[in-house]
Amino acid sequence: MKRVQHLLEYAVVRVLLFLVDLLPLRACVALAHGIGDLFYLLHRPRRRTAMENLLAAGEARDERDARRLTRAVFHQFSHLVVTSVKSDSWFQKYPPESCVTWKLPPELAAILDDPKQGLILACGHLGSWEIGAQLLSHRKPVVGITRRMNNPYVDRLMVSRKPRGRFELTPKRDANLLRLAGALKDGKVLAIMIDQNAKDRGMLVDFFGRPASSHTAIALLHLLTKTPLCFGACIEVAPMRFEFRASGPFRFAPTGDKAADVRKILEHLNRELENAVRLTPDQYMWGHRRWRLTPKQLAANAP
Amino acid sequence: MSRQEILEKLRSLMARTGPGKTDWAKVSEADAIAALGIDSLAMLDFLYDIQQEFGIELDPRDLVSVTTVGQMVSFIGERKGA
Repeated sequence: MKRVQHLLEYAVVRVLLFLVDLLPLRACVALAHGIGDLFYLLHRPRRRTAMENLLAAGEARDERDARRLTRAVFHQFSHLVVTSVKSDSWFQKYPPESCVTWKLPPELAAILDDPKQGLILACGHLGSWEIGAQLLSHRKPVVGITRRMNNPYVDRLMVSRKPRGRFELTPKRDANLLRLAGALKDGKVLAIMIDQNAKDRGMLVDFFGRPASSHTAIALLHLLTKTPLCFGACIEVAPMRFEFRASGPFRFAPTGDKAADVRKILEHLNRELENAVRLTPDQYMWGHRRWRLTPKQLAANAP
Repeated sequence: MSRQEILEKLRSLMARTGPGKTDWAKVSEADAIAALGIDSLAMLDFLYDIQQEFGIELDPRDLVSVTTVGQMVSFIGERKGA
């Protein structure tokens, strides 16, 4: 039964990919808008989660405002998927440098342009993260970690469509962090999403005023390798026109108190992400369960 | 510092970082680190503690080929002697 469902989903994705390849950008944007509306109407649990998160974060004034923003978030997410698929052929036609404006502190720009210097990039589900990594890889090779999709047929198809070249993706289950640290020695950017729910393995750090379980790997990698850390997000300012906004480099020295060192870094990075989200809240993926705590965490946090 | 002393310290550090179900007192040099339930994330945690405990600088990239407790003991021994 599951196989039939996966094959049906695969067929739908193939049709959509065919359309995205065939249609001009403007029509693709309209298609993405329509898909976003459809998901908004059909995916009630995700819609609910997004609205609750927007209200709890104070980004929506009331229920009505939350509904409006949630709809924009659904549009944005389907837009992101469609433009990510479209980007490969688009960047063959239009040089990537002509599609992006870099907003970087000079010291960070110098690190990016130094082929020997590795960099740890903290990013989140904000803006066009896949296209951002792709654009960044034209300045410096990028290594990222990706989660496999539940549907193996769609997963294989999407992996085959991902741009290659200087942007490598490692499946999460094969990601050996020690080996990934080698990428830093080779002068590459190691891009890590900091807003994934780390469940019981993470550290609870405030994000928009509420505790959220955050992966500690990024902080430990920085403390151990002393590779500079930065925060970045790729914001779409017009169809296929991007602004890569980044801050840093940040450097933290180990003090001997591991928990305090890791917390300090995670709090800093979460604050950077929070500030970036506030500038373009409709480009953040509010529908994910960022703040969901495990029973163990709930018990530990009980008053 | 002797190999035995390094091993003893490693056992206590692993007990702090690794999964609770392992009997760390019985860990020997022949044991594979991954088989003890220490994955690459736990390894980063572990490396921070090793750095502090032994007062040495460790680069995780140099440890990709270290797979057993014995290899880790040798690695630390070399660094301490260096």
